[in-house]
Amino acid sequence: MSDYDYALELEELVKDFDSKRAVDHISFKLKTEEILGLLGPNGAGKTTTLRMILNIIVPDSGTIKILGEHFSEKTKDRIGFLPEERGLYRKLKVSETLAFFGELKGMKTAAIKAKGTELLKRFDLHGYMDKKVEELSKGMAQKLQFITTIIHSPELLILDEPFAGLDPVNIELVKDIILEMKRQGITIIFSTHLMEYAEKIVDSVVMINKGKKVIDGSLASVKREYGTKFIKVKYEGDAGFVSSLDYVKGVRDYGNEMEIEPTEIKFKDTLLRDLTGKISISSFQVTEPSLNHIFIRQVRGQK
Amino acid sequence: MKIWTIIKKEYRDIVKKKSFLIATILTPAMMAAFIFIPALIAKVGREEKIIEIADYSGVIRQPLLEKSRNSEEATGLLKLKFQSIKEKSQKQEDLIKVYEQRIADKEPASLELVPEYSKRILDETIAGLILVPGNVKETRRIYFCALNVSDLMTNKYITSTVRKILSEKILTEQNIELKIVEEAIRDIKLNTFKVKKEGTTKAGSKLEYTMSFIMLAILLSIIMIYGQLIMRVVIEEKNNRIIEVLISSTNAQSLFYGKIIGIGLAGLTQVGVWALLAAAVLSRSPLGIDAGILNFLTPELAIYFVIFFIIGYFMYSILFAIVGAAVNSDYEAQQFSAPISYLLFIPFVIGVVVTQSANTPLVIITSMFPLFTPTLMFMRISITVPPFFQVALSIILSILFTMFLAWVGAKIFRVGILMYGKRPTVNQIIKWARYK
Repeated sequence: MSDYDYALELEELVKDFDSKRAVDHISFKLKTEEILGLLGPNGAGKTTTLRMILNIIVPDSGTIKILGEHFSEKTKDRIGFLPEERGLYRKLKVSETLAFFGELKGMKTAAIKAKGTELLKRFDLHGYMDKKVEELSKGMAQKLQFITTIIHSPELLILDEPFAGLDPVNIELVKDIILEMKRQGITIIFSTHLMEYAEKIVDSVVMINKGKKVIDGSLASVKREYGTKFIKVKYEGDAGFVSSLDYVKGVRDYGNEMEIEPTEIKFKDTLLRDLTGKISISSFQVTEPSLNHIFIRQVRGQK
Repeated sequence: MKIWTIIKKEYRDIVKKKSFLIATILTPAMMAAFIFIPALIAKVGREEKIIEIADYSGVIRQPLLEKSRNSEEATGLLKLKFQSIKEKSQKQEDLIKVYEQRIADKEPASLELVPEYSKRILDETIAGLILVPGNVKETRRIYFCALNVSDLMTNKYITSTVRKILSEKILTEQNIELKIVEEAIRDIKLNTFKVKKEGTTKAGSKLEYTMSFIMLAILLSIIMIYGQLIMRVVIEEKNNRIIEVLISSTNAQSLFYGKIIGIGLAGLTQVGVWALLAAAVLSRSPLGIDAGILNFLTPELAIYFVIFFIIGYFMYSILFAIVGAAVNSDYEAQQFSAPISYLLFIPFVIGVVVTQSANTPLVIITSMFPLFTPTLMFMRISITVPPFFQVALSIILSILFTMFLAWVGAKIFRVGILMYGKRPTVNQIIKWARYK
């Protein structure tokens, strides 16, 4: 479909703010029509990286290829961007909002009208053309915001913390929208510190911490390479003894649930035997590592 | 052209607001009201004031009562009714004598009134009481005691009437006919004409002073209102992060200039409407307008007004836009924008000097200073005829300065709009201008 294999190619990006290094030699690639999650805690350098991709700020060194070429003013019309805290002009009508953002992306009035109507329909917002933005519910505004971001049919969509500050209903909504956009053939990169949501939709991940890249790869390969399985136990009783078992590497105890990491997963039967009788078990489950676990382990290991 | 999209949006946002429509229509209406209503109130709203007089000299009371019978006709506005005090108190006369003696050393802070006098003032049976001491002819001093002593018209009427009574008294004692003296001391009227290259035309100094201050006030308030509007728009977009979408779609320069131009055009629209309204009023009632105003409002001055408005607007709105980009909240914005407002209002203070002597070195130099040019040079032009090269130079300097400011401003703006969190220091803001 497109004449480039990678929608994004970042090479050795560096950005300093005064004396602080915000982004430290970060490189990664994003395959066309995939979703990449840029993960990391607050202040890791995610937003700075995205801003450099968007050419809002200029890197101190390193190169960025976007949609197969170096950034130019024309590139701007081929990408869509949704910043972290989202807002629209409250006093504008839905139609005026679409017209403004469409025009800003170089669209003609007729095209905006056609595409806008189509998108409103797809997101169940038809009939709201003449409503003011301030009259919309939060969920509807959320949808409208996404529509303004994709009205010009971007090839690459850049989302900064799309889940931040949303209630569960809206998180689901945003997740669905992202997947819907992927189906449309849009390549997507988004940043988030909420790894459990990212896990459900990404094809590949880049984890960064303190400006440095920690992990990079497809979701499956990352889990394979960095994650060891662990055992989730729901229980009642005193489980203090678990951490002293010699094949147990680590325990996170939440009181009536604990996550036990054995040195090797084959010890699961031994563990079950050792627990039986000492505590009352209601659930015992071998679990895939989450991105969160992988990230925390990786960051701790770095220290 | 994406900058055009921004200009259009900012312009529409303002012009479509109800508040814009209201301000555009209401401001001239308010101005008219300010001119007419006080006179109207003065005419219908005045109650009759009863003022009693206790005359211990025996010279003033009778003539005052006679003269003031038609005080309303004399002043056009005042309704004063003077009447003799019912029982002249010997005690009050003594108290005044004591007071008069003390005055020789040092003016005392209080004057003692006998209770029956002060009571009538306090319960508002009468508006005031005039006490005339026995030696009024020598001291030319009388006393007026009232609840409200700030009614200047009443005070003036009393003093001038009493003065007249005393003058007449003295003159008749000297056997001089009153008419002769009146003729001898009759007022001189000063007719002022302004000398210009085009000719010498009638111009009232008071009128010019007022007109140039009114125009300066319009200039300043429009610059302030629209400059601060830009600041607020930027802060709002920065807070809801729309600004990031905007610069990722256009660029910081287009955004910066687009906003300033769009909002500036809205300001010009408003001034334009006012100018049309004013022109309509002036052309419909040419007879009612003082010739001085027409001589003052030359097309030349109107052109200068537009030039200095545009320069001043851009200069200050750039500064306000920078503040908007640098800060995070309206509260922080106030701290930064206050000095800018001072810069704007300093010329208002210097303006007083300008009206007295528009061509002193201090005024010439300050009017060349770009930040003051739009206001001060405009004032100079409206009051006198500064050398053309000075006007041209000041315009060129301020345009160059504005261009420099726009260049630096766009750089600061680009960095500032992405900075959140702590309020930046002035040093940091200067540093932003040097970022790549």
